[in-house]
Amino acid sequence: MIRLSAIALLLASLLPAQTLEQAEAFWKARRFQEANDVFRALVAQHPDNPDYKVRWGRLYLDHSQPDIAVDLFNEALELKKDHAGALLGLALVAAEDFESVAAGLAHKALASDPKLAEAQELLASLALEDNDTAKAVEEANKALAMDAHSVEGRAILATVDWLADKKDTAFDPHAARGYETAGHFFVINRRYEEGVQYYRKAIELDPQLYSARSQLGINLMRLGQDEEAYTQLETCYNNGFQDAATRNSLKLLDSYKKFDTVRTGLIILKLDKKEEELLRPYFELEMERVIATYEKKYRIKLEKPVRVEVYPDHEDFAVRALGMPGLGALGVTFTSAAYGSFIAMDSPSGRPPGSFHWASTLWHEMSHVFTLTLTDSHVPRWFTEGLAVHEETAVSPEWGDRLAPPVIVAIKDKKLLPVAELDRGFVHPTGAEQVVVSYFQAGRICDYINDKWGWDTLLAMLRDFGHDDDTATVIRKELKMEPAEFDKQFVAFVEGGTKNVVDHFDEWAKRLKQVDELAKKKDYDGVIEEGAAIRDMYPDYVEAGSVYEFLASAYLAKDDKPAATAELERYVKAGGRNPDSIKLLAKQLEDAGRKKEAADALARLNYIYPMDNDQHQRLGALWMDAGDVAGAIREFRAVLAHNPIDPARSHYDLARAYQLNHEPEQAKEELLAALETAPGYRPAQKLLLELTTTEAK
Amino acid sequence: MKLISLLLLAALSAPATTFYVTISGLGGEPDYEQRFKMWAEDIDSSLKRAGGDSNVVTLVAPTREQIRARFAEIAQQAKPTDALVVMLIGHGSFDGVDYKFNIPGPDITGAELAGLLDRVPATRQLVVNMTSSSGGSIEALRRPTRVVIAATKTGTEKNATVFARYWAEALRDPAADVDKNEAISALEAFQYAQHKTSDFYESQKRLATEHAVLEDTGKGEGERVPSAENGEGKLAATFPVVRLGANAAAARDPSKRPLLEKKEQLEQAIDKLKYEKAAMPADAYKKQLMQLLLELARTQEALEK
Repeated sequence: MIRLSAIALLLASLLPAQTLEQAEAFWKARRFQEANDVFRALVAQHPDNPDYKVRWGRLYLDHSQPDIAVDLFNEALELKKDHAGALLGLALVAAEDFESVAAGLAHKALASDPKLAEAQELLASLALEDNDTAKAVEEANKALAMDAHSVEGRAILATVDWLADKKDTAFDPHAARGYETAGHFFVINRRYEEGVQYYRKAIELDPQLYSARSQLGINLMRLGQDEEAYTQLETCYNNGFQDAATRNSLKLLDSYKKFDTVRTGLIILKLDKKEEELLRPYFELEMERVIATYEKKYRIKLEKPVRVEVYPDHEDFAVRALGMPGLGALGVTFTSAAYGSFIAMDSPSGRPPGSFHWASTLWHEMSHVFTLTLTDSHVPRWFTEGLAVHEETAVSPEWGDRLAPPVIVAIKDKKLLPVAELDRGFVHPTGAEQVVVSYFQAGRICDYINDKWGWDTLLAMLRDFGHDDDTATVIRKELKMEPAEFDKQFVAFVEGGTKNVVDHFDEWAKRLKQVDELAKKKDYDGVIEEGAAIRDMYPDYVEAGSVYEFLASAYLAKDDKPAATAELERYVKAGGRNPDSIKLLAKQLEDAGRKKEAADALARLNYIYPMDNDQHQRLGALWMDAGDVAGAIREFRAVLAHNPIDPARSHYDLARAYQLNHEPEQAKEELLAALETAPGYRPAQKLLLELTTTEAK
Repeated sequence: MKLISLLLLAALSAPATTFYVTISGLGGEPDYEQRFKMWAEDIDSSLKRAGGDSNVVTLVAPTREQIRARFAEIAQQAKPTDALVVMLIGHGSFDGVDYKFNIPGPDITGAELAGLLDRVPATRQLVVNMTSSSGGSIEALRRPTRVVIAATKTGTEKNATVFARYWAEALRDPAADVDKNEAISALEAFQYAQHKTSDFYESQKRLATEHAVLEDTGKGEGERVPSAENGEGKLAATFPVVRLGANAAAARDPSKRPLLEKKEQLEQAIDKLKYEKAAMPADAYKKQLMQLLLELARTQEALEK
């Protein structure tokens, strides 16, 4: 075989005129540039031949340049509107991005050429991505009926067995690309260690299968095996396989020198050096709290460490999370029996203030650590996400995501998916909004089961999934009803709970615009009248331009501070996260002498945007007033950790807190630091004299 | 510290006046008009609240003739021992050669402004040009005894700036007084406004379109981080823009002169020790610093009795 290829290549080099065979020979030899030159010449000579454009497009697809491939497939379709190869090409590109249109395009390709086995293989793959095993088997068998040697068809059937933990299968493809396919399915089922094993098998058979080698590197990186990951990715890069995932992962690995890794017990934090001092206490505290809570709830003890990686640059996080289908992407979790769990998430500094609740994300991701550990990663996507969303609100009613407009529309239009098909909403969503709806639906299903059957039933379901039961089986077993009946009852529960919002949503949206207009005209009485009338039509709306904030501003403009405070309190209780509004609430409460509540309001911000020094300064002072010295110390240390404008003042504040906490030596250290910056700083001088006098006595 | 004490002593023999001129230019649209005016008024009120020997003038959208007239008046009133502080807020432009400050009627160029400032006899001068493209004015404005602060590093940073908002804040925020000497120096106000401007862009997740610089040697391009290494910031560190406290009162009592002198010596000793820090064992440094700081605290306490 190798010899034949070499001869073909030799002939290709010698042939004077460009032929399709010549292009294919260069391509097969991974001489992409020469293959590209031949295709270009061929297409120039035969501009009306769609076949050449399609093969050229496939070359680009193989070379990780899908955008150019799509252009060529579309050009081919302009020449022949039902060109099967072009339709298949578009389907493959869509499938790479987990777009729901992929299946439709594959069907069209098959309609145009019923013997196109590759389109049939793609349908089998798409069904398995949706966790629709029965359909995947049916489609794979069809592919094998078309082409008895179909590697992909065998790989899908083998993967079905392997995913079900059947080690022996009659369909082992014994081919590098077949093992690469298996690796892909283990990874999207969050079974990274097994995915790595299949990628290893793939490159053992074909060391030049760089797409598999790159995935091996990326997944080793997910499991914290950075050194080998780098070697594998570098090998790909040096051999001309330089797709975005490979390039970006290498860049990210290079950037790890900017990070520090600190370990306390099972908790490993990987933080950017610039933020470590500020964020570490908050993350450690929250990790301890979440582990203690979940160990009790899920009734397991974590034995492997959990590494939490916090990325201030969202692009770095995106690379780390790369390849996860339907990822709304605030955080991502990878678990492995051998290496423990890995959470990657945005730093609170990585997103605009108020748009991200990092603690809620941490609790969400930690829930995955427990559900994946408990089930050995055999839990369907919808259930692990559902529990994670459920946990966000279980820890605090203010934390979870609110009822978003796309969800209201989905409920109104009866677009919620049947529970047995809910994975499709995550893996192959019809659009970004369906991902939002699917998270909501999965979370509400878990809320509903928790309310009606109790937490033990959710745990029993989790254990069933761990035994590889599918959703329909688990619903029948634990809820004693058919999935269709469950869907009916669940939809009635959701519709009942959201009726007010769904019924008034259009009216609310229209009248909110009027409130905005009235506010612009400074018609505060009008804002108050109209705002108060519509606020409770959609109380969950706490995004920019919320009724609560319009009302609070109007009340303040009319000097009605108590009413403004009450409105802002409603806003934060409804889950409002705008730092300016929360700080305004804290100020109003402080001015009204409600200092403990003011401190509580500001403490909320530590979970949203802890990068603001003024906020830590104020909170520290409020904790001092309230006698919470430990809280004050934490806040004043946060100020110092974040390059304060007034370091002398910050050291002095911390010294006062240490003094009240009966830690005179630490207090003196801080005073020394304050006075080193500002030797004439009177309050610090006075405290130093006081401490020294006390010491002398 | 040494310089601050010297300034206090100088105040006893020859009281100096600081002339403040704040000018807000054309906004071009209501939002900017309002913003520029608000920042200028904020500065005006901080300066007036600080009191002392000062002459505070704030001009909102003046013409070139009005500006010239005002500087002519100051040129007649000021003495060499006085100080002049000029703050410009608004839009500026730079065509590669000339910087222009946008005002009603013909704009005023950087060179014209420099000419007006040169005619004022006050030796110590501070120009804070907070407009867009203000970096383009540095070359025209710089002089050996003049501190020039620009909101933008070059004339090509053309977007509207927010530096003025935080400069105004610096003049009323005690936190800007980093060395706690009860005066906010030009360097402290610059660093405060620069820090807050940088935080603003970072928190908004926006690419910073302004990078403030300071020039006080009369020959530099302006530095983002004035330091001993680049030679910038020395004059700015000793140029008080606003005074916050009443330390001067103590300095007027002749019976406290010995204590003031002792205080000055202690401050010098602390400065010297800090300079030697890198070459000393940490424990020895801390011990000596603590002794000096305690002595300084006791001296200050005695001064206040």
